[in-house]
Amino acid sequence: MGAAELVQYVATGVLVGGVYALMSIGLALIFGVMRVVNFAQGDFMMLGMYLTYFYTLSGVVDPLLGALLTIPPFFVLGWIVHRGLLARVTGGGDPQRQMDAQLILTLGLSLVITNATTMILSPTPLGIRTPYATQAFALGPVLLNQARSYAFGMALLLALAVYGFLTRTDLGKALRAAADDPEAASYQGIDVRAMHGLAFGTGIALVAAAGGLLATYHPIEPTVAGNFIVLMFVAVVLGGLGSIPGAFVGGLVIGLVQSLTLLVLPFQLQNTGVFIVFLLVLYLRPQGLFGRRARTV
Amino acid sequence: MPSRARGWLAVAAVVAVGVALTFGVQERYHHRVLTLVFLWAAMGLSWNIISGYAGQISFGHQVFFGIGAYVTVLLIVKAGLTPWIGMIVAIGVAVLAAVLIGMPTFRLAGIYFGLATLAYPLIFRIVMDWLGFQEVAIPMKREQPGWFMQFSDPRSFDLLALAVLAATLMLSRAIETSRLGYRLRAIRENEQAAEAMGVDSFRCKMIAYMLSAAPAAVVGAVYVHAILFIVTPEAVFGLLVVSQTLVVCLVGGTGTLWGPVIGAALMVPASEILDTTVGDRLPGIQGVVYGGALILIMLYAPEGLYWRARQLLLGRAGRGTDAARSAVVAPAQDGAAAVAPMDRALLEVRGVSKAFSGLQALSDVSFDAREREILGVIGPNGAGKTTLFNVLNGFLAPDVGQVRFLGHDATGQRPSALCRLGVGRTFQVPRTFPHLTLSENVMIGAFVHVRPVPDARRLAHAALGRVGLADRADALPSGLTTLDLRLMELARCLATEPRLVLLDEPLAGLSGDGVAVMIGAIRSVRSLGATVVIIEHTMQALLSLADRLIVLDQGRRLAEGTPTQVTQDPAVIEAYLGKRWLARMGGR
Amino acid sequence: MRRLSRMLAVGLAVTLIAPALLIKPAPAAEDVRIALVVPLSGRWARQGQLKKMGADMAIEEINSQGGIKALGGAKIVLREADAGDSVEKAVSAAQRVLTREKISAGIGSWLSSFTLGVTEVAERQQVPWLSLSYADSITERGFKFTFQTSPVSSLQAEQALDLVTDLAKKSNRPIKKAGIVGDNTAASMFFYKPLREKLLAAKGIELIVDDVWTPPLADATAIVQKLRSNPPDIVFYGATNFPDSIQVLQKVKEFGVKSPIQGVGAWLVTPEYVKTVGKDVLDNIQTVVAAHPMKGQEELVKKFKARTGEPFMTQDPLCTYSHVWLIKEAIEQAKSADPKAIRDALARIDISSGPAVAAFYPPRVKFDERGRRVGAMPIIVQWQDGEPYTVVPTAVATRPVAWHK
Repeated sequence: MGAAELVQYVATGVLVGGVYALMSIGLALIFGVMRVVNFAQGDFMMLGMYLTYFYTLSGVVDPLLGALLTIPPFFVLGWIVHRGLLARVTGGGDPQRQMDAQLILTLGLSLVITNATTMILSPTPLGIRTPYATQAFALGPVLLNQARSYAFGMALLLALAVYGFLTRTDLGKALRAAADDPEAASYQGIDVRAMHGLAFGTGIALVAAAGGLLATYHPIEPTVAGNFIVLMFVAVVLGGLGSIPGAFVGGLVIGLVQSLTLLVLPFQLQNTGVFIVFLLVLYLRPQGLFGRRARTV
Repeated sequence: MPSRARGWLAVAAVVAVGVALTFGVQERYHHRVLTLVFLWAAMGLSWNIISGYAGQISFGHQVFFGIGAYVTVLLIVKAGLTPWIGMIVAIGVAVLAAVLIGMPTFRLAGIYFGLATLAYPLIFRIVMDWLGFQEVAIPMKREQPGWFMQFSDPRSFDLLALAVLAATLMLSRAIETSRLGYRLRAIRENEQAAEAMGVDSFRCKMIAYMLSAAPAAVVGAVYVHAILFIVTPEAVFGLLVVSQTLVVCLVGGTGTLWGPVIGAALMVPASEILDTTVGDRLPGIQGVVYGGALILIMLYAPEGLYWRARQLLLGRAGRGTDAARSAVVAPAQDGAAAVAPMDRALLEVRGVSKAFSGLQALSDVSFDAREREILGVIGPNGAGKTTLFNVLNGFLAPDVGQVRFLGHDATGQRPSALCRLGVGRTFQVPRTFPHLTLSENVMIGAFVHVRPVPDARRLAHAALGRVGLADRADALPSGLTTLDLRLMELARCLATEPRLVLLDEPLAGLSGDGVAVMIGAIRSVRSLGATVVIIEHTMQALLSLADRLIVLDQGRRLAEGTPTQVTQDPAVIEAYLGKRWLARMGGR
Repeated sequence: MRRLSRMLAVGLAVTLIAPALLIKPAPAAEDVRIALVVPLSGRWARQGQLKKMGADMAIEEINSQGGIKALGGAKIVLREADAGDSVEKAVSAAQRVLTREKISAGIGSWLSSFTLGVTEVAERQQVPWLSLSYADSITERGFKFTFQTSPVSSLQAEQALDLVTDLAKKSNRPIKKAGIVGDNTAASMFFYKPLREKLLAAKGIELIVDDVWTPPLADATAIVQKLRSNPPDIVFYGATNFPDSIQVLQKVKEFGVKSPIQGVGAWLVTPEYVKTVGKDVLDNIQTVVAAHPMKGQEELVKKFKARTGEPFMTQDPLCTYSHVWLIKEAIEQAKSADPKAIRDALARIDISSGPAVAAFYPPRVKFDERGRRVGAMPIIVQWQDGEPYTVVPTAVATRPVAWHK
């Protein structure tokens, strides 16, 4: 295999990984602040894809812009879901039980969203036609699909924006304080519940935007979440549960693993490469690349 | 025991109801629903063993279900082997899979375990597709249908599924009433405390996992013969199986026999009715109802309908006892004068150091604890006292150094192993098993040396009696005062028959009366023949209690000797006591 | 404890008795009931609904032309049951519909895994069943009540290869190198297997690309890259999962791959393709199917389009239409609505004209002892200007084939 081909594999993996990365950041943020693994993350992404599709029906909105426009309504949706459902789960007072209960709640939410969408919208796949989905930038012998390149660029920008928000703004610091030590944060006058709502809303908004970007080259149907939710989990664990830059790197790595697995395993086993990496990370370094030390028994 | 007989009787009642329904139901489709109810109840029960009793929530239990289905069918296709025997092989494969999966995965705690379990069924699905088993049809055996589980009378399938349910109910009941069952519940409530009380949590979890895999495999095998007729990776390793299992258990109630039975009896017919009546106009209605049920349960009855119903029906039983004042009963023996410390070293600590990402918590600490002595460990906050205890009882392994107990090297062993050797411990903040009664809490300790449940219960009652809590044996820890909790923890620790007892700030948070009671209890520990090492803050108490003291400061051993020697050591005064304290004490 | 299990028993009994109370309106005593078990909701709802459209059209024709003569003009009534999106639901639907009423014959269920499960039920209930699924396994189980009208995948592979090599030779571009690109769903795998094992070698064709994936496909670049660097003369294409297929086709356009694409199955012939990737991408792509409207069936197609508003008629409604007529003919010959009698009639039937053979090429229905249609041959359909046309065999083509633009 020539060098050019290898570069092509890597390039493909990175482009695909960029969108995975954006999907995963939302999940990492929610876990980092609330210690909740949001099983419904993929389903909110699917809703984001549908919203982007509806924007493009207007004829004037490009799906890339549509992806950005999903952010405000989904932020509000996330806030409402948190306030209305997640915040009300107490698990009988025990924090460990509360986390378990919230996790099961998100599982229930996932079932409801997927199936309600199947009920209300047609299950027939929809597609957004853009000229750049079938065009590529040529960098020497390497071809970079235009749709995926734009999606990658936007994912990177959004990730940087979130990172900047978390590290440089006061609100972002309050959010991180609530994540690190809720009790201490509340003594500082930080409304921890509002911070949780903020984190959840942002996490949902990010994954909806990722869905919009995905819609530029992937057909939209109610069951699309299933393909990506496990990849998101793997990316987040790889990067370190709760670490935003970790999740981004994790997403890129998953894209690369998917692409490069084809060099060593038969095509049919492509996704097993991802799961094997997942298991290896969990066994050898459960805190991931960037996370803090995970509790092992 | 009457309650045990009642339990078995109730299982028999469920079976009787099942048989009645089998012969009462007429329509073939209804028989299918009945079979599904039995099968999903059994599946839920099997999940319950590892995720309900032991609290290790698994999202990948369908691995065993799928193994049961594939192994039995492939054996028919490739070897013509009857599924009655094929099922046994499938059980073997499933249990083996449980071992292979459990060994690495149980090292992970909390959510990591759950996430890891997600991966295995997905891997199986891909591998099955790759091996060419995308659609394996069960060959029809017209000559010997019964031998190949191909019944024409749907009632046969009902009875078969009911038999599987009955067997799983009996297995669950047997676990619930055994030592393993109590230990699993302790692990679920507080794994670290369970370890400290001699429960080898890894081993218990592995056994539970293996026990949970077997019924799941049987359910998978029967399911594919009664319901599916063909095996596809999606149908047996897919999301529908695990969500059905989870819903049945979570809605019905986890950690109990009845939960999955109730859950299956409610949810399966409900979803089938919905599917047949409005399923084509409202596709996915079943998923919406399941998801909605999960959400409602988590909001309003997180432990499941069974526990909620029980709580409502039985009232707040177990919390009734007035928590205001604890009976200040002086513990039975106070043999302080009678027993003197010996010269032989029970515990030898040599050069132990421990660092945490740059912070040196312990630095070359060495000392001995002599048999039957009461050794006090004091020092300012952050001196490394609790870290030292964590090393001594196995929660941490030292970076350098050795710990010898009874002459054997005990460095880095599991807490449960050390407990069985004779190292007992209480915690700075009492670590109870919140949903177990006091008696059951102490029984966990008793189980170290005793296996039958009635024996353990007797020992537990005796231990509670010694600390004056016999009348509260059936109460839950939540209503108790700090003193009572500490006494209970002590009783639990003593039930493990320790030679060495590590007490971490047992007097913290107690009033004057309470301190006196506690001190009496500690002295009585020594009279039972054990050595006590005690971390304390309040110097006064230790001065009268301890035979010798060790002072730690910033991870180093600052001084060692009798209380008098130590309190007059200038280094100790400098670092910890302060001259004013000395002046105050000088007047006594 | 006792109280709880009593409540349990009552609860169980109530929830199980309830459905029996749902009353279904009984049809007129003489009506003949045909079951249609297809996905009517969920992922494959569209395909199921198309089949139902075909069935409805046939039933309306039969009933308006006087019903079943041999039974004194008895009307046909369709009993559809939703196979949903899982094998369990499909089997459940089949059991429900076959045990609640007297069903004379049945049709379904589109996905080969559903069909396998449903026919197991039909075989046990001894109701004859017609299916258009391609998988060889459907009629390899020794069943007496299953009838497969489509040529099986392995046979399609052989015949399709013959057809395309002929076409290529006629255009002076003989095939020397071939590629296999697709997923590992059963029907597709049954097609690739003989190609790989003997057919290509027998014609001296080298297999230079063999990339089969497990759905879902993450990215098509690696596959299409190979097609770009060493283009085969024909690519056998089996991407039955719509999102995967879209990715591959878009990538083919993006990389400018010119190899002719020979699809394997009717999944490539849906209007959604045009809507999603546009007709330029689809132009000249061919696929092997069991049935497609042929020359001389313009009236039928027009009637279908008028009834349903669909842009074109495809295999699913066409086959189901013929299936219903075929059952009608079998009932006429058996002179009875009894499923076993109908089964025997189908086993003996040999019919070469009329709507019952409209969907089939060559136009003859006779089943062998396994239940496979004797002499069955596939049709090759090609996308031209955003619509799929029958191009091969030329005798029944509705448009001439465009080979190598």
